[in-house]
Amino acid sequence: MKRKIGELILIVFLYLIQSTYGRYIEIGGITPNLLIIVPVLFGFLNGKNEGIYVGLVSGLLYDLLFNNIIGFTALIFMYVGYFAGCYYKKYEESEMLFPLLILFIGNMSFELIAYIGNFLLHNKLDILYYMTRIVIPEVVYTIFVTIIIYKPLVFLNAKLESKGRRRVKNFD
Amino acid sequence: MKKKYDFLFTSKSLLIGFTAFCLLFIGVSFFTDKLVTPLRTIVSTVIVPFQKGMNNIGLWTSDKAATLQEISEVMQKNVALQGQVDALVEENNQLKQDSYELTRLRDLYELDEKYPGYTKVGARVIASSPDNWFSTFKIDKGSDDGIEVDMNVIAGGGLVGIVTQVDSTTATVRSIVDDNSNVSGMLINTSELCMIKGDLKLMDSGLIHVTFSDKSSVVRDGDKIVTSNISTKYLEGILVGYLKDVKVDSNNLSQSGYLEPAVNFEHLQEVLVILEKK
Repeated sequence: MKRKIGELILIVFLYLIQSTYGRYIEIGGITPNLLIIVPVLFGFLNGKNEGIYVGLVSGLLYDLLFNNIIGFTALIFMYVGYFAGCYYKKYEESEMLFPLLILFIGNMSFELIAYIGNFLLHNKLDILYYMTRIVIPEVVYTIFVTIIIYKPLVFLNAKLESKGRRRVKNFD
Repeated sequence: MKKKYDFLFTSKSLLIGFTAFCLLFIGVSFFTDKLVTPLRTIVSTVIVPFQKGMNNIGLWTSDKAATLQEISEVMQKNVALQGQVDALVEENNQLKQDSYELTRLRDLYELDEKYPGYTKVGARVIASSPDNWFSTFKIDKGSDDGIEVDMNVIAGGGLVGIVTQVDSTTATVRSIVDDNSNVSGMLINTSELCMIKGDLKLMDSGLIHVTFSDKSSVVRDGDKIVTSNISTKYLEGILVGYLKDVKVDSNNLSQSGYLEPAVNFEHLQEVLVILEKK
């Protein structure tokens, strides 16, 4: 229970940062996608179920306040969380590159689907422009932010972990 | 007892269940808002006070930062001015600029005076769209303050956008630079009609696309464009911006170019909502 509340607070906090300070931290008109970081990291660190829950909640929050179509972002974030959860236990926490790779794939596909739905189908076919000006800068910025907040989030995750399911850290 | 339902909580069944749930919501939200509105109201009642608070902190810090910056600027200026004899010339230039600005503002004021009947309500921008694709933002007034969908939003004498979604305490505004925005406009002097389309590709220059369907309309750089009399959603005569680089298209039928919006969208803080619909 404590864990669920902690995760919810984290998601709301990141959402608030993104929606209110987004226009202050933007670089060249691009803001990072902070909310997708949570399902990737929590799925990677705690398994599929956790990734699904966290992705669903953060995606719904993302949808509810701005989009007209509810559930679209939630669906994608949920699958990203599940995908990240598939690699739970296969890698150690200290291997930061792997979650970054999942994040890269997840964020890239999310933005690509958003482009196809909102722009490509509206006859805006210049995919090269939208990729190089919007999608790639956003992904790079998000990865940069993740590198900064990875350690604090791993620490927070360990704090939130209930005693019974603490992860075995040293195998040998 | 608990074991019996365990199969419901494996990740596969969770994934399938939630996928169905999301698809249901997506399907429903194409047709109606009814299912989502209560959910949205609950979430915004929780989130909006925080957003307001965080915005105030942000404004306070940027205010302080600006003051600090100004202090260092003033000191630099002081050093520079002491050694210079042409301080008065500079001051004179400044006054000239002010007088240009004054005449421009008077023009805007006249335009405002022309349509004085609208009642407006001031609102603060509290959040911007979390993605990079759209230029929508939230304001801190909603249906409780009389705001409805399709009301026009202005700031500094120019058109900002239109209300697309309303809660009891907040409203979502789509700005005219948004990629989905289409405004019907006209030249203020000859009433030639044109179409004003937002375009994400112009985000770096801050301009908007404008198309005149008539090749023979006489247009010049800097001509004022206002919202047209035939628009179904925008009230007539609100200043949208100034024309730039209008040329005849390659089809030799229409002319198109750019429009410099009258409003600076970079750091929009306060807007006015016109409480009247067309």
